[in-house]
Parts: sequence; structure tokens; C-alpha cells
Amino acid sequence: MTHQTSSLNIESIYCDHHDWLQGWLRLRLGNAADAADLAHDAFLRLIIKPAPRGLNSHGEARAYLRVMAQRMCINLWHRREIEHAWLDTLSAQPLGFAPSAERQAIVLEALHEIGAMLLELPQKAARAFLMANACQMTDKEIADELGVSTRMVRKYVTQAMLRCMQLQARHTVDDLYTHDFT
Amino acid sequence: MEQAAQWYALLRSGDATESDRAAWQSWLDADPNHRRAWGYVEAVSRTFEPIHTSAAPRLAADNLWTANIRFLQRRRMITGIAMLTGSALIGWTAWRYTSLPDSLLAYTADYRTTTGEIREFTLSDGTRVWLNTATAFNEDYRTDRRVLHLMLGEILIDTASDPQRPFYVETSNGQLRALGTRFTVREEDEVTLLAVYHGRVQVRTSAGATRLIRAGQQVRFTAEGFNVPEVADVAREAWSRGMLVARNISLEEVVQELRHYRRGHLGVDPKVAGLRVFGNFPLRDTDETLALLAEALPVRIHRPMSWWVSIEPRI
Repeated sequence: MTHQTSSLNIESIYCDHHDWLQGWLRLRLGNAADAADLAHDAFLRLIIKPAPRGLNSHGEARAYLRVMAQRMCINLWHRREIEHAWLDTLSAQPLGFAPSAERQAIVLEALHEIGAMLLELPQKAARAFLMANACQMTDKEIADELGVSTRMVRKYVTQAMLRCMQLQARHTVDDLYTHDFT
Repeated sequence: MEQAAQWYALLRSGDATESDRAAWQSWLDADPNHRRAWGYVEAVSRTFEPIHTSAAPRLAADNLWTANIRFLQRRRMITGIAMLTGSALIGWTAWRYTSLPDSLLAYTADYRTTTGEIREFTLSDGTRVWLNTATAFNEDYRTDRRVLHLMLGEILIDTASDPQRPFYVETSNGQLRALGTRFTVREEDEVTLLAVYHGRVQVRTSAGATRLIRAGQQVRFTAEGFNVPEVADVAREAWSRGMLVARNISLEEVVQELRHYRRGHLGVDPKVAGLRVFGNFPLRDTDETLALLAEALPVRIHRPMSWWVSIEPRI
């Protein structure tokens, strides 16, 4: 799979914009290490999955990078928020309780994935879906908690599952696509 | 796909019968496309596995939910501010303000507190330790010495005497040796603050500089060296009783202290930041403290969102 070469190549984009991007990120994240990581990821992403129509000028490259960096910042903040939630969960456990680092990483990754998935759903459906899956509650239990009928719960869960399946399918396609480049 | 989602919703509802399950099985076998669609159902369900097999799935789910709601609120707020000012900067900064640099590692520590929490422990040798807000330390007691590793936050220590086993506290900047004492150690951004209330503490920085700090003194040090010792602020020790004792300090200083006990933004208008504050305030309930401040001073508490609070002049 090849792409248009009339556009700027990645080396020149990197040379002209990397420092700017890193500075931009540092200003927003207030943290040089995070900024360096995200800047690195941004270029990596650009190599693996170039802009659909190519980047034809440096102005365009900068605008593209800015939008990408903004998304990555928001994603990072979401992740931090979820890390916080996990810390709260951990610290509510009895003192002796400490899952292994590996186990924690798995749970945290799952939480982040689920959190991102739920953001794509209508709020009530997301809540019902979370209770159904993470807590394995029955329709009746969820209905009681949310103050809706079990018929509504069934509808929420169906709707949420369908949406998540679609997201899952899209990711699978994305993966296939990116593997062509690596 | 839609059929697969419907089957899933039925099967997990708690109301599925044997014949439902049989019907699902024949649906599944009827068409390879059905099976493929069901593969997605399984993939989505697998994502949740680490949560519902964890020790407290309900708590994890509830906290995750809160995190998502908070995230959405902030995202909305930030987009809002960005549009109003034409610049994203203020919004980003506001967000940054509220994400605390808690380290995950610290939460696997032997002893810990979350933001806003103050706790007291008695260790096996009878030494008493008070943990201030967002604090974590590990205990490393051996036959020839007792060592606490302070990872985050602040501890007040009342050591039990044991001539056979000297007592040490290790911080990122150096090692403290207690000589029969009561003292606090606080990890600040790059600096360690030591305040001694009884006895003496011998400090050795990571670079090897040493100094003896006596009762009534406090000192800040880094790995490289020491600041000039000052008179220890006795009122500060009151946090171990859950109190903030203000004796003629500025509102700005009070706010700085309260920030350690709260998540989210707590700001103070420069017009009132210099007001002098007297009184005892509860640290475990900082909302109460804010209400008390609003009664005692010509200020009002402005709270546009639960996580965004600012203290402003009363109009």
C-alpha cells in the first residue's frame, strides 16, 4: 500500500514541527515528560497512519498536528481521570490488599477501554451497560437501581452492546489497515 | 449484529429460560455470519472481565462512572471557556490544575491516605505515626534498625524508644535519624521539610551533607544541601488532630494549606488574599472550613462547579 508522495515527507514535518509541538504540549500538560511522550506518539501515529489527503504545506501540517495533539491531550486527561478512579477504588480496600503491578496494569487498561467505550453511548444506556457487565447485575436489579422498567433496561443493554460491537468491528478494520504499514 | 446484541441482552438478563438458550444455539449454528457477529459480543464482554473478576467490581464500576461524568463535565467546560476567550489555554490550564500527580506506586504502599484523609497508626514497636492528606510510606523494620520510607505527603512521628534499633526516615532527598523524638517530615515538590518538636533529628542528605536539627527548629533540604533552619511552626502540628490552626496568617496561606486536602481548583481573589485569619478550622471537612471563613471574613465562596471553588470579595 503506497500513498501520495507529492505531499511533505515525514522527515521535513518532523524537523520543522517537532519542537513546536513539544512546546505546545508542555504548555498544556505542564509536564515536560508527558509532552515529550505525546509528541513522540503523534509523529509515530503520523508515520503509521498518514493524513488521508497528505499534508501539502507546513501550515497544513501544523494544523493537522494541533488537532491530533488536542485529541491526545483529551485522551490523556481521560486516562488520568480513570487512574484517579482506580486509585480511589484501591484506597478503599483494606490496608493489606494490594493487587500485583501486573494485575493493576490489566485492570487499568480495561477501565480505560471501557471508559472510552461508554463515552460513545447515551448516558442511561452506558450506565445500564456498565452495571450489566462489570457488576453482572440482572435486568431486574438494574431496573430497580435506575428507576426504569426492565423492558427499558433490556433496550439499553441491546443498544449499548450493538454500538460497542460496531466500535469493536471498526477497530479491527483499523488494525488491519495499520498492519499494512508496519 | 443487531440480532446478536438482542440475544446477548436476553441471555444475560437473568430471565433467560432453557428454551431461550436452545433457540440461541440454533440461531448461532444457522449462519456463519451469526457466529461472526457473536464473536464481537464475546470480544466486548471480555473487556469487562478484569473488572467483574476484581475484588470490588461494584466500587470499581461506580468510580469509573464518576470519572467519566467528571471527564465529560470538564471537557464541556473547557470547550466552553475556549470558545469564550478564543484561546484554549485557560481551559487547558484549569484542567491541569485539577489532575493531581498521585503516583500509582504509592498506592501499593504499606500505609497510605487519600486526598483529604488524615489517619493515625501505631507500628509494631509502639511508634505512633500520623499520616497527613495524600501520604504513603513503607515500613522496613529489621533486627538492627527501623526504617520508614516516605514516598508521598507528610508524616508526624512519635518514636518509641528502642536503644538496640535506631529509627530512620528515608525520603527522596536524604535520611533522617531520630534521637528520641517527635517530628514531622513532609515531601514537597523537590524539597523535604523537617520540623522537630521534641528531641533532635540528625539529617544526612543524599549528597552526604549532615546537620543536627533540635526541638523547635525546622529546615528544608534537598539532596544537595540545606536551607537556613527556621523556628518550627508549632501550629502546623495541629493537622494530626485534624485541625488547621490559624494565628494571624494570610488567607492566601490558608488556601495553600487547604489545597492539599481537596481535589479540584481552589482559588482566592488577590483582593482578599491578604486578609488575616484567626481560628481553628476542620481539615477533614474543608467545605465546612470554607463556610467558616465566609462567616468570619468579608468574603463569599463562589462554586460554579463542585470541583471549582473560588473565594471572592463579598459584594
